[in-house]
Amino acid sequence: MRFVSFRMASSVLATTALLLVAAAPAQAQTRVETLRYVTGASVNTLDPNIPGSTRESFALSMSTYDRLVAFGRKQLNGKWVFDLDKIAGELAESYDVSPDGLKLTFRLRKDAKFQDGSPVTAEDVKWSLDRCVTAPILGKAQLLTGSLTSADQFKVIDPLTIEVTLPKPDKLALPNLATVYPLIINSKVAKEHATPEDPWATAWLKEHTAGSGAYVIESFKPGEQVIIKRNEDWNRGSPDKPAFFKRVIVQSVPEPATRANLVERGDADLVVDLQASDVQSLEAKGKLKVISTPQYNSITFVSMNNQIPPFDNVNVRRAVAFALPYEDMFKAALFGRGAPLFGATWPDGKPLNGIYPFQAPVKTDLDKAREYLKAAGLPEGFSTTFSFNVGQASTAEPMAALVKESLAKIGIKVDIQKLPDAQMSTQINEKKLPLFTEGIVAWLPSTDYFYRNFYTGNQRWNYSSINNPELATIAQEARFEPDKAKYEEDGRKLNAIHFSEMPQIPLWQPNQDAVMASSIEGYTYEFHRQVDYRDVSRK
Amino acid sequence: MTGLGATVARAGRRLLSSLPALFGVLVFTFLLMRVLPGDPAVFFASGPNAGKEEIEQIRKQMGLDKSVPEQLVFYLSDIGRGNLGRSMMTGQPVLKDLRERLPASLELTFTALLIALIAAVPLGVVAALKPGSLVDHGVRLFCALGVCVPTFVSGLLLIYVFYYLLGLAPDPTGRIDVFTSLPPQRTGFLSIDFLIAGDIEGWWAACKQLILPALSMALFVIAPLARITRASMLVSLGSDFVRTARSVGLSWQKVVVTYALRNAILPVITIAGIVFSTMLGANVLVEKVFSWPGVASYALDALLSSDYAPVQGFVLLMAGIFVLVNLVVDICYGIADPRVSIG
Repeated sequence: MRFVSFRMASSVLATTALLLVAAAPAQAQTRVETLRYVTGASVNTLDPNIPGSTRESFALSMSTYDRLVAFGRKQLNGKWVFDLDKIAGELAESYDVSPDGLKLTFRLRKDAKFQDGSPVTAEDVKWSLDRCVTAPILGKAQLLTGSLTSADQFKVIDPLTIEVTLPKPDKLALPNLATVYPLIINSKVAKEHATPEDPWATAWLKEHTAGSGAYVIESFKPGEQVIIKRNEDWNRGSPDKPAFFKRVIVQSVPEPATRANLVERGDADLVVDLQASDVQSLEAKGKLKVISTPQYNSITFVSMNNQIPPFDNVNVRRAVAFALPYEDMFKAALFGRGAPLFGATWPDGKPLNGIYPFQAPVKTDLDKAREYLKAAGLPEGFSTTFSFNVGQASTAEPMAALVKESLAKIGIKVDIQKLPDAQMSTQINEKKLPLFTEGIVAWLPSTDYFYRNFYTGNQRWNYSSINNPELATIAQEARFEPDKAKYEEDGRKLNAIHFSEMPQIPLWQPNQDAVMASSIEGYTYEFHRQVDYRDVSRK
Repeated sequence: MTGLGATVARAGRRLLSSLPALFGVLVFTFLLMRVLPGDPAVFFASGPNAGKEEIEQIRKQMGLDKSVPEQLVFYLSDIGRGNLGRSMMTGQPVLKDLRERLPASLELTFTALLIALIAAVPLGVVAALKPGSLVDHGVRLFCALGVCVPTFVSGLLLIYVFYYLLGLAPDPTGRIDVFTSLPPQRTGFLSIDFLIAGDIEGWWAACKQLILPALSMALFVIAPLARITRASMLVSLGSDFVRTARSVGLSWQKVVVTYALRNAILPVITIAGIVFSTMLGANVLVEKVFSWPGVASYALDALLSSDYAPVQGFVLLMAGIFVLVNLVVDICYGIADPRVSIG
């Protein structure tokens, strides 16, 4: 009986919000003004700088703290995504970059207040940025990528002006200040909770906030849920007014099927991490809004360890690249939900442009794969293992089966290893896995950033352990290349080396599938791959 | 009075004698966690920019930079001071996490066990009264179904039918609807706290939230309880004292309930105790499916991310509960059969 009335109601009333109003008249008002966001992971710290913080913590900190600047947004194929090239002031009213690119001057908003009512001053900004480059926190390594390494670089000019000096004109200095870590903290409050052993109040800020952001913490239960309420004084958003929702509930629901049910029944408003199969069926039913954005700053790849035989032989790596069943893997793992990085055509055999990630001219061609194996002196093939972590099993498991089947056709016997996440990270760090699948994300997706972080040096993120001096040199030079045309040329060279060396095989950029009630508007794909609660509103 | 005194003394002795076992569990878990592959420091330093320095820092924070014997000494002295360490996953002290989450697990497990007992004992008795009959086969079929359907399958099925299709159940996330305000915490058991606060609406909301997860757990354990009841009832019904009771013309009800069932209930209590302890730890899947903020799902998450402190704390907690449950079972024995408490 109830079911029938539900069906009828949904056909009569267009929006789920209205349905909820009908179902719970007593709570109607608060429900419409509340965003219930369900996610598989959980917020484990209120300061995203703490080692071990989750992506949910990143997203939460975007709403509870402000930064000096913020990324703008742009339309990409009709969907809103963050815009790396458009950086607007958040706490800064305006900013200047000196002609030589060595000085950034930020003028703060006069009306900006912390959540305790005190004004935001240049002193607070300096303390917060000093903390980011001095304290043993995650921001340190991130800001390093923008040549921000020492507290001497931040100077208070007057109570509303702060100056940042750079040793070299670094393109990534400004965008770095818009990322998750350099949040601006109320230094007076934080200092009250600092101790001699912990001068930067990291322990206190883990469980408390002292920011100027759009939302204030109402309740925080690590591992379960966080409820935040609107800061009515906040006006740093793009339409210059407080955020839309009065309350936001960020709730952990580990079971993906349950998350799908919740959003379909209208009990949850928004979810981003559903299984591809659930997204597909929800999309087919057409009741909800599904916004799928290829994660253009991420890559899923199959990596080979370039130092372990037989993968130290480039022909073996090429053989694997031409033996992978790309189309089938793409369908089995993601239901085709994403942007493929295989199957391109390079007319003159050269990269089409200098942008990374690029679509490589590889496809399944077993004859070619066999030729490469012969060239490598391994015509009979060999045995190896293919590893993936349990956390990614829903996409990696079907992939692994297809890899095994396809490589067997050219004589490579594959043993599938499914590793617990901590074990997989350890093995990757120790460079012990010969063949595995992983994914990477860059917050600031520029070509040189990708190459420097993921293809050079003896560090963990160099998954393939590639050691190519030419690639390393070009990537380093490109970092400080002011000339756009030369930078593009560097990018092409890097891409050409990547393809000829084949250190790892890029597969695709998975979609971020955001499923929401049809009344939700303004969803934007953000660099941290979570929802910025300030973006969304209910119509 | 002396009976009570003897029971308390016995309980005290039992608790004392279990201390070495608890200590063994403590050391064993500690060593086991260190032997498992996977470096927690590397795992937690998995941010896009975490390098060697960050890994070292986390290692130091977790105390992993010291040798294993040193770590063990520190660990034991911490435990002695009632400090179970800090979870990397939630960022909270393990003791606080467990204290917040244990009531959720206990409430769920108690309810499930209660449902299971209420269903299983009558089923077992009915089956035993007419062995080999259609009823007996029916009970057997029901038990087989219950035990062969894993809890997460029955959980998902229940959600699908009662929440998704019929809309009768509240959304299956957590202990209470997110929009309901919580009562002041007294016992940690929501169904009791709401009653203390006199909030009947809240109490009903908490109970509704409890029904589906408790039911899916109960389905799984009805089988062992019903089978034990049946077997032990059969023995009891065939014994001399029941035949005597019948022959002197006592009512059917009195024979079955007072004589047969009271004698048959001992093994059921034993099994219920064991079932309770296993359920508490093994209801991970139910807790996951229903986003129940209990200790088992907490421990599983910690194990997957090699977060040592919560896993160790959880195992210690389970060992402690097992000792307590055994004690309670012994006391129940004494009440059901006074002969047991002699000596």
